[in-house]
Amino acid sequence: MKILYSWLKEFVDTRLSAAEIGDALTMAGVEVSSCRFLGEGFDNVVTAKILAQGPHPNADKLSLCRVTDGSREYPIVCGAKNMQQGDVVALARTGAKLPNGMEIKKAKIRGEVSEGMLCSEMELRLSEESAGIMILPPETELGKPLADAIGLSDWLLEVEITPNRGDCLSVLGVAREVAAITGEKVSVPEAPIRESDLPIGDFASVAVTDADLCPRYSARVISDVTIAPSPDWMQRRLSLCGVRPINNIVDITNYIFLELGQPMHAFDLDRLGGRKIDVKRSGIPRSYVTLDGAAREILPEMLLIWDGEGPVAVAGVMGGQNTEVLPSTRRVLFESAHFAPASIRWTSRRLGLSTESSYRFERGVDPGGTMYAADRAVSLLSRFASFAVARGVFDVGGGTDFSRSVPFRPARAGRILGRECTEEECADVLRRLEFPVRDEGQGRWSVTVPPHRFDIEREIDLVEEVARITGYDKIPTTYPESGAPEFSPDDRFVKITEDASEFLRSQGFTQAINFSFVPEKEWRQYAHMLGFDPSDAMRLTNPISDDTTMMRPHLLMGLLHNLASNLRRFVEDIRLFEAGKAFGKSFTEGHFEEPRLGFVLYGRRLPENWSGGPNALDFFDAKGVAESLLSFLGASPVHFVPTVAKPFLSRGKAAEILKDGECVGWLGAVRRELAAALEIPGAVFYGEIRIGAATRSRPPEAQYRAVPKFPPVIRDIACILSEQVPVGDILSMVSVLAEEIESATVFDIFTGEKIGQGQKSVAIRVKIQPLDRTLTDADVNSIHTKIVNLLENRFGGKIRTS
Amino acid sequence: MTDPSDRLKELQEAGLRAISAAASESDLLDAKGKYFGKKGAVSEILKTVAYLPAEEKKRIGGAANEARGALEAAFNARLDEIRERERLAREGSGLLDVTLPGRSASVGHRHPVSRTLSDIVSVFQRLGFSVRLGPEIEKDYYNFEALNIPKDHPARDMQDTFYMDWPEMDLVLRTHTSPIQIRTMEGMRPPVRVIAPGAVYRCDSDVTHSPMFHQVEGFAVDRSVTMADLKGLLTEFCGMMFGPGLPLRFRPSFFPFTEPSAEVDIRCVICRGAGCRVCKDSGWLEILGCGMIDPSVFGFVGYDPEEYTGFAFGMGVERIAMLRHGINDIRLFFENDIRFISQF
Ligand SMILES: [Zn+2]
Repeated sequence: MKILYSWLKEFVDTRLSAAEIGDALTMAGVEVSSCRFLGEGFDNVVTAKILAQGPHPNADKLSLCRVTDGSREYPIVCGAKNMQQGDVVALARTGAKLPNGMEIKKAKIRGEVSEGMLCSEMELRLSEESAGIMILPPETELGKPLADAIGLSDWLLEVEITPNRGDCLSVLGVAREVAAITGEKVSVPEAPIRESDLPIGDFASVAVTDADLCPRYSARVISDVTIAPSPDWMQRRLSLCGVRPINNIVDITNYIFLELGQPMHAFDLDRLGGRKIDVKRSGIPRSYVTLDGAAREILPEMLLIWDGEGPVAVAGVMGGQNTEVLPSTRRVLFESAHFAPASIRWTSRRLGLSTESSYRFERGVDPGGTMYAADRAVSLLSRFASFAVARGVFDVGGGTDFSRSVPFRPARAGRILGRECTEEECADVLRRLEFPVRDEGQGRWSVTVPPHRFDIEREIDLVEEVARITGYDKIPTTYPESGAPEFSPDDRFVKITEDASEFLRSQGFTQAINFSFVPEKEWRQYAHMLGFDPSDAMRLTNPISDDTTMMRPHLLMGLLHNLASNLRRFVEDIRLFEAGKAFGKSFTEGHFEEPRLGFVLYGRRLPENWSGGPNALDFFDAKGVAESLLSFLGASPVHFVPTVAKPFLSRGKAAEILKDGECVGWLGAVRRELAAALEIPGAVFYGEIRIGAATRSRPPEAQYRAVPKFPPVIRDIACILSEQVPVGDILSMVSVLAEEIESATVFDIFTGEKIGQGQKSVAIRVKIQPLDRTLTDADVNSIHTKIVNLLENRFGGKIRTS
Repeated sequence: MTDPSDRLKELQEAGLRAISAAASESDLLDAKGKYFGKKGAVSEILKTVAYLPAEEKKRIGGAANEARGALEAAFNARLDEIRERERLAREGSGLLDVTLPGRSASVGHRHPVSRTLSDIVSVFQRLGFSVRLGPEIEKDYYNFEALNIPKDHPARDMQDTFYMDWPEMDLVLRTHTSPIQIRTMEGMRPPVRVIAPGAVYRCDSDVTHSPMFHQVEGFAVDRSVTMADLKGLLTEFCGMMFGPGLPLRFRPSFFPFTEPSAEVDIRCVICRGAGCRVCKDSGWLEILGCGMIDPSVFGFVGYDPEEYTGFAFGMGVERIAMLRHGINDIRLFFENDIRFISQF
């Protein structure tokens, strides 16, 4: 909201400068985001009169003027044609630096000397466009700085009002704040009105049927008015505050609205059917055309203003075309009402129609101030327009006391703020705010809160007033008493995620963060490859774009897109990971969201290296990452089983990761067609871990076993097997064949003609670790035989003897 | 006949010449045999010493031993030289160019937002706070109602909300991590000291707003928690995060779930208060919002506001990361350009 310093001074004659007010308000919670001097760039721009005007001898489009600022004459070459002899204009003398950055120097233009420039409003940044130079009223004094002449020796404060402080959305409201901060006094101007003899009841009637939504409805009626432009000063104030001037009637309502925060509506009385006003709900659904020409679907509960024939306005939101003020209007009913905030907000939201009026009513408009606003409007209007004021007012609900009393204990303020708040200090703050106080004994007060402060209903609200008016800088800095910090399961989870991230980073992975929402279109397009029916996705009602329509069911696509875009930027050998959530509908709990860790590998195993060697990534690099990551996190042992359940992974190159029988992740080569669809040319390997499931069970505390004292025995066994036999199964079975077998690893594997079609040769190295004595040959041979039997009988292997 | 000691001197010199001239191990062995091996000239002289008078015996014997010692030392040194030369000829220089790059996967980079978030969390963990997490798809009740933001209240406009397309569930994407306050307090009695990090969502996108971003919320409830404690804690935090002694200011603001509420500004880390584009010439940067937990929030979780007081604070992680690293466009964080992330 924009507030003019000069306007503010009319309501509180403060000693503070505009900049000081800005700082003081900000530090009291009414944030002033900027404070701009309006005369900026008007140095050396003065009022001057055109003495003579003639054509430029050497240029058709230019004219030659002689102007005076009252003390000196200046020759000026000018490009505009809209002025004539005797006009008062804005002269930028040499040395001026205009708001648009233009510097004025003495110059010779086409052979003629020019000692300045006649300015347009656009050059002065007073308007967006201008047809020619600015012409000032003829009575303007000459030689005066332009800023003074047009009331721009002023400051414009840009104020950000929080939603709780609807009362500050006006000059008066901000003035009250200034007064409370400085201890100065607010002065509300008198609103003298000369009423005619004709009673208001002869002109119109007002009823409020639904008083629950309209606690107060005040109105004044004027007649014999002529619609005309408002005076310059009013138009300028409106423009500076962002309101377009229209005519004297509309402008006065807007002016009051800016000044007092009271939205007003002007009805053309002669267009009000039966010259009657009623305030009541719509009752039935209906369509109604508002001022902006749009047909609005009105719901039965919405509050309308009615005349004798039907609705004439959506109460507090927007008037209708049927009764708006026209150039022919002669008689006007000024509405100044208070509508229930929640009702206005609901109506405005349901209609999708937010107006300056609804914005203020939602935040609470002072029900105590409606009549004064109507009076002020009529009083101010009478200064520049002539009309008759009907005798009396309409003021339904006018007798009501809208103030409320709120209990307050100064000691409580001290307990919340952590500093002593004396009774004197609290009393002083409440006095500055003009909140009357009654002492009820035993440190309990009853504070009367005026109706414009909608935000103050409870003791804590008064505590806040004390804190902010005395200043937050008065609150000391202490350190909270600390209990023993607990270590929650979430602390553990955050640590696991952090460890995983650091581990992956050490393995060459760079961390990505993608939006959790993804384009449903893409997920539909590739549904057959993504293994997810978008109908089971959590979708957004109001996505910000087509790219953010549903919550991602897994992390692959984000990382694939990242991979593709980095490849386009000539990054090679890419490893990315992301720790984020996956979402979807679930059969049991409505929906799920689950933390996952996704990682993608592309390109070479090692960066291009001088020592060469085979270097293309394959499935086992991805598997190695998953294995070592899970082991690092204490999530071992896990098993990898082939899977076809993940259609985004290539068949035969995909595995699920099982832990205690539960699937805790998957990995494999990304399906070629999917990578190709994103224009990724090479092989991509991908893994995704369900972090929670993988690390749910804490690894049991390790138990000490004696470190072996006896040398181990190594046995190598090679055998030929069907290609179908999973070597992982062999290893896990061999390793539990005898207590003494410490490990079984594969050290060679190959296929080829020598081995035979569909066969493979697998060489296993078994480490036999005696527990309490040196093994005899017989012991070792017995274990060897068990292994051979297993390979032959269980896996159909043929032992190779080299 | 010449004196045997002169003869020994001659032999020693000739022997040393032969040793230094030896080009190979066999040349060297030849020299040894000729001069000081068992049958070498020096040994021959030694054999004759026994027949000399006692005094001569001592003189000549000493000289002979001396000559043999010198020759042996020279022989050993030359042998090392020859062997080393032969090894070099056989194996190459063996000297490594230690400036060649090592052989390992290159190390990756943490995302600056993730790193900043984890730094913030660990600062508070050190200050005695424990972590609580919560769902990103959140019930309207937790995101708004229980935080004193009723439907049809203007405070709802403060946060542009994404709604889930599942009307009967009344779900939103959480607009802040504050719902974790409610979820935590529902499940435990004071004292509470919790830090709640996570992704949040708002329907807003430009240079400083992203539809998804990250927040850290913190709160504490106990019998005598005060606003002065809040100031103390956040002063400590800002010192740990941005460097000690950084001026900060608390100014009144509004959040529906705290009262009194405050906005915390730190002295602009870019211009140090002189005024610049980042701080819009104010010299201050808004860094977090905070306040005393509103008694009506306690009402929703069954805490007695007469018995307990508490404070809460929340901050945007991206904003802090932008200030730390001088990043001017929030959207860079979500493009995942490795050339960007690898700068951190
Ligand atoms: Zn700055």
